[in-house]
Order: sequence, then C-alpha cells, then structure tokens
Amino acid sequence: MNKKQARLFAIGATALSALAFIGLTLDSHRQFDKLTNAQNITPQVTRGKDVWHENNCINCHTLFGEGAYYAPDLTKITKHRGAPYLTAYMRDPSKFYDEKRHRRLMPKQDLSEEDIAALIAFLDWVSNVDNQGWPPRPILVTGATFPGTDKPAAAGEPGAVPPAARPTSGAENPIAKGEAVFRTATPACGACHSVAPGVNMAGPSLAGIGSRTQELMASGQYKGKATDLAGYLRESIVEPSAHVVPGPMYSASGVSFMPTTYAKDLSADQVEQLVAYLSSLK
Amino acid sequence: MRYKSQSVAYWYFAVAVALFGLQLVFGLLSAAKYLGPDPLLYILPFDVTKVIHTNLLIVWVLTGFMGATYWMVPDESRTELHSTKLAYIQLALWTVMGVATVTGYLFRYGTGNKLLEQPLPSKIVIVIVMLMFLYNIGMTIRKSGRFTTTEGVLLGGLGLASLLYLPALLHYENYTVSIFYRWWTIHLWVEGVWEMIQGGFLAYLLIRLSGADREVMEKWLYVIVGLVFIAGILGTAHHYYWVGVPAYWLPIGGLFSALEPVALVGMAMYAYSSIRRSGLAHPNKLALHWTVGSAVFTLFGAGLLGLAHTFPAVNKWTHGTLITAMHGHAAFYGAYAMIVMAMIAYAMPSMTRRPEEGTQMGYLSFWMQLAGMFGMTISFATAGIAQVYLERIMGLGYLDAQLKIQVHFVMLIITASIFAVGVALFIIDFFRHAPRFDVATDADADAGDRRTRVAAA
Repeated sequence: MNKKQARLFAIGATALSALAFIGLTLDSHRQFDKLTNAQNITPQVTRGKDVWHENNCINCHTLFGEGAYYAPDLTKITKHRGAPYLTAYMRDPSKFYDEKRHRRLMPKQDLSEEDIAALIAFLDWVSNVDNQGWPPRPILVTGATFPGTDKPAAAGEPGAVPPAARPTSGAENPIAKGEAVFRTATPACGACHSVAPGVNMAGPSLAGIGSRTQELMASGQYKGKATDLAGYLRESIVEPSAHVVPGPMYSASGVSFMPTTYAKDLSADQVEQLVAYLSSLK
Repeated sequence: MRYKSQSVAYWYFAVAVALFGLQLVFGLLSAAKYLGPDPLLYILPFDVTKVIHTNLLIVWVLTGFMGATYWMVPDESRTELHSTKLAYIQLALWTVMGVATVTGYLFRYGTGNKLLEQPLPSKIVIVIVMLMFLYNIGMTIRKSGRFTTTEGVLLGGLGLASLLYLPALLHYENYTVSIFYRWWTIHLWVEGVWEMIQGGFLAYLLIRLSGADREVMEKWLYVIVGLVFIAGILGTAHHYYWVGVPAYWLPIGGLFSALEPVALVGMAMYAYSSIRRSGLAHPNKLALHWTVGSAVFTLFGAGLLGLAHTFPAVNKWTHGTLITAMHGHAAFYGAYAMIVMAMIAYAMPSMTRRPEEGTQMGYLSFWMQLAGMFGMTISFATAGIAQVYLERIMGLGYLDAQLKIQVHFVMLIITASIFAVGVALFIIDFFRHAPRFDVATDADADAGDRRTRVAAA
C-alpha cells in the first residue's frame, strides 16, 4: 500500500461510516416520538426538564445512567417512590437522610412547589421512556434485600443500635422515620419484603401497595375490617392474618407466615410511621 | 525555535499547565466528598466541583492543542505565523472566557447539560475563538505554500472539532434527543476528531524524535485515521445504550466499539516500532517518554478499559457506575493530557532554558503522574466492580453500597495525591526555566540534525 492508497482508505472509510451513521440517525428520528412517548411531553414536563438543568442535577445524579456517579440513578425513581414522598424529600432532603451515617447528603434546593411538581412530572416521563428495559434489576436508593447488612456497622460501638435505628431528633419526616422502622424493626420488614416491583421474597413485594390495595378493596376479595389504605396497612402489620395475600409461600390454612410480634414490639407511633412510609410507595 | 512567532506557543502552554493545576484542585475536592461528610455542602457542593473539574479539563487540553499547533505549523510549513497579534488576542479571549465560565459555575450559572454546561455567551465565544484560530493557521499554511500530511490531519481534526461543537448550540425539547446530539459533540470529539489531532502531534513528534522516514510515517498516519473513523463514528452507538433510542444501536455499538482498540493498537505499535527501528538517540529523552507514554497509556485507558465495558451484555450492569469513571480518567489522561505534555516537553528546550535532555524533576513528574493515574484507575475500577456486584446484582441500595466501598475512595485519594504531586512538579519544572525566544540559526539546528543522523548511521 502506498501513501495515496492509504489516503483513499482514510477518506473512503470515513465517508462510508459517516453515511451509515447519518442514515441510522434519520431512522432514529422516525422512532424517537414513539419510544419516548413524545405526546406526553406536556409544558409541565418541559418545565421539569428545565428545573433538572437549572439545578445541575446531572453533576451528582445519573439519568438513563448518564451523569455523575455521586448520587443515585433516577431513571425509574417515580416507579419506586410516589409523588408525596418525592415532594416531601425535595422540600428538605436532610429530613430523610443523615449525613453522618450516609457520609453524603443532598443539599436543599429551595424549589417552589410548582417546580417540585414539574420535576416529578419530568422524572415520571423519563421512567416511561422505552430504553430496552434498563436497568435489568431495580436500582434502589437505600435498603438491603439481604438481611443483617445494617448490623455490622454498629457492632463495634458498645451499646450501639444499628445505624438506621439511631435516636431521632423529632424533626424527621414521618415517611423517613417509617423507612427507618422498615429496616430496623425486629425482624426487619426488609428481610422479607422488597420495595422493588416484582421482587417477591419471603413476603410479597410492597411496591405499588397503595394502588394495589385500592384495587383489592374495590374487587370485593378483601376479607379484613379496614376501609382505607392506612387502615389496611395498620391491620396487616399488627394482625397479619386478617387478610392474607394468596399464594402457598405466604400463608397456610388462612394463617399468614408473617410474624405477629409487631403488635407488641412496635409502638403506636412506629406503626403510624410505617404506614406513612408504605403509603408513599407507589 | 526556528521561527520567532513560535513563541506564542509558550503563553498557550503556560495557560494550559496553570489550568491543569487548577483542575486537580477541584478533582481532589470532589474525591474527598466521596468520603464525606462534606463541610462545604452549601458553599461548594459536589455538582459544582465536578462541573469545574471536567470543564477545566476541556479548556486546558484545548489550550494545549492550540499552543501545540502554533508551535508545530511553522515548523512543518517552514514559515512564520500569519499573525501573532491574532494569536495573542485569541488566547486572551479564550482565557477570559474560560475563567469567567468557571467562575459562573460557582454560582450555578450553566446549562446543566453534562459536559456542555457552558452558557450560551461562552459557547459563542468558543466558536469565535475557534474560527480565529483556524483562520490564522489556514492563512499561515496558504502563505507558505507547504502543506504536509501531518499538518493536514491535525488541521482536519481541529476543523471537524469546531464543526462538531455546533450541535451543542442547539436546543432540544425531548431529553432523549438532546442526549443523542450531545454525543455528536462529546463522543465524536474524544473518540474521533481529537484522536486525529493526537495522531497529527504523534506523527510530528515521532518524525522529529526518531528521524523516521516521513513518507512511511504519514502513510501509516492515514491508515490510523481510517481505522479511528471506521470504529469511532459508528462506535458513538455505545453512548446510545439504554437512553431511549432504537434497539439496533445496541449491536452496532458492541461491534464497532470492539473495533476501536484496533486503531489504538496501531498507534502504539506505530510509536514503538518507529523509535526502535530508527535506532537513534534524540537528546530530548523526556519528550520521548511522554510521546511513547501517550500512545501506550491510550491503548490501556481508552482501548483496553473501554473494551472492558463496551458490550451491551456487560454494560447493562456497569452503565452509570464508577466503572465509567475508571475508563474516563485513564483514557482522557493517556490520549490528551499526555500528548499535550509531550508537545510541551518537546518544545521546552527551544523556548526556555530547560536542558535538552530534560531535568530530574521532569522525569520524576512523568513517573509520579503515571503511577498516580494508574493507581487512580485501579481505585475506580475496584470501587466500580464492587458497586456493580453490591448494587446492581445483589440489589443493595445505592447509598448502602457506597458505604461498603469507602476503602476504595481512600485509595483514590492517596493515589490522586501522588498524581497531583507529579503534576505540581511538571508545573514547577515548566515555570522555573526562564523563557528565551531567540531564533535558532540553521547552524544550531543542523548541528542537532547531524548529531541525530550520525547516531542513526
């Protein structure tokens, strides 16, 4: 090969690749609207995208796995957390996480209520984009799907409680406190229940418990005494067999496998916090 | 220095290395925040230090590219620059823009679009500076009537780099579409046209340092450019994984990014074999270290570590984790930071009183940077692997997984400090030799050439 041929190769290869790339780009444009549900990009979603940009969110978080790696991925966050939770969180993140324990904390962003709602609408639009099913398994913000992982951190300090069971200042959001109870009650709720959709462990997944309970109550299949979501959750915690979720892995002869110890081990406040947390799961 | 106007390069290099130092300050701050808690949470939060860290990188590397071009083009075209005045105005405008933009970030004045955070006024100045630069270089070459292939490749890379910045100026309503075009700028820069620029500098340095035959070197330069683009253009697809674009980008990304290392292997072989075969001993051994180092470290950081997570079946798990940070640091450093330092190390003896063969401090800087960056890469890699297993595969929450990999962040800070000391030595070594801008006579230059020719024979 001489220099002239080499030049021909460089130019030809580049031109061909560029041509193929532009062709694929044109075809992608044909499909963008369908894949991203472009019809759902309302002015509120657009405003939410602007809030996302104005606050430089992408330089800590990732969205579609792109961004910085200092804070959780938010692609599917609205599938895991409902709007009430996210709204309360955006008002003041420090009510949900403790910088001493997690070693990092999101600074308060001072967003208006409209901007928070817009941001959540934008994130909800993101969560519905067809992105080839990524992530393959839910990416959780906190929580362990395997039990006991919280304990070792506290083992070294005499008289220490597991980190998430630290004394609270009273200023925390009830949802955040409920999340702590979820992880630290004995036995921990998270040892059997996942909050990720479709992840059924010893107990059923609690993702979407709010909407599923509504469906359940409307269907007439419900056998307990509760009349609303909070009542149902309260009842399930203190009296697990009042209504059992169908499935041979969850109950036998109408008796739930879930421990009945929570009625006496948890204070009334803790039960309420747990109810607040679980109600916030979309 | 053979042409008086080459002295403008000194000031470009001075700005570049100073900003390089500043980049590391923000890098170290960001790394410290991984350990936390952060006393600067409401003064300099992570998003601010990180955006400054990445933007300073782009600014200083481009400053280095421009300086190195102003150094190289007179040499290649055997003429003075068209206008040194224009070059200085350009540098002033560029530096003011860079510093103002970074200062703006302290107050959250930016677009919040990853790597293209520059606000519109800054983007417009960037385009103007690029046009001034291309005009100045174009006129220089036109006036001289001598246009080498090496120059052509370099200029092609710079021209396309400016062109590809244009999609960044546009606004897209659909977030997915805006991601799509962001990579036209970012990916096609760093895995396309910037590699052309690197290739151009590499060819220039190898021809000068090894005395290898220009015809042969330039032939292979073409082959490398062809290989870069075959893989690089369609390789953009690996940024289109899981972002809401059609699924056919997945296999295309897997196939063409797997080809990307071919060009980089070619580049490393190119550097290594030309040095070995020539059998000559150019006195500027320090520049030789940086030149060969750049080719080899690019192969490691961009080639090998890129390949490590480029297949969709792997990337499904590693996407958006510290694995990306591992690849990003090593690739950018090897390909672009090191090639700029190679050009600086090569030009230094002619522009300053630095001895031709380099100083002890210069070598210490080289090896400390290399060791530090290698350690940082390994720290990110181990942290990333642990993160993927804990968070993505076993299902531990993000925050809990991050707590379990703290030890790797300690390692990151230690190795980053070694790297920073290496860079500090480079900066000190640059500024402690007073500049001297006297033009070398042909007799001096020929003496140098003869020396190398004798050694080759």
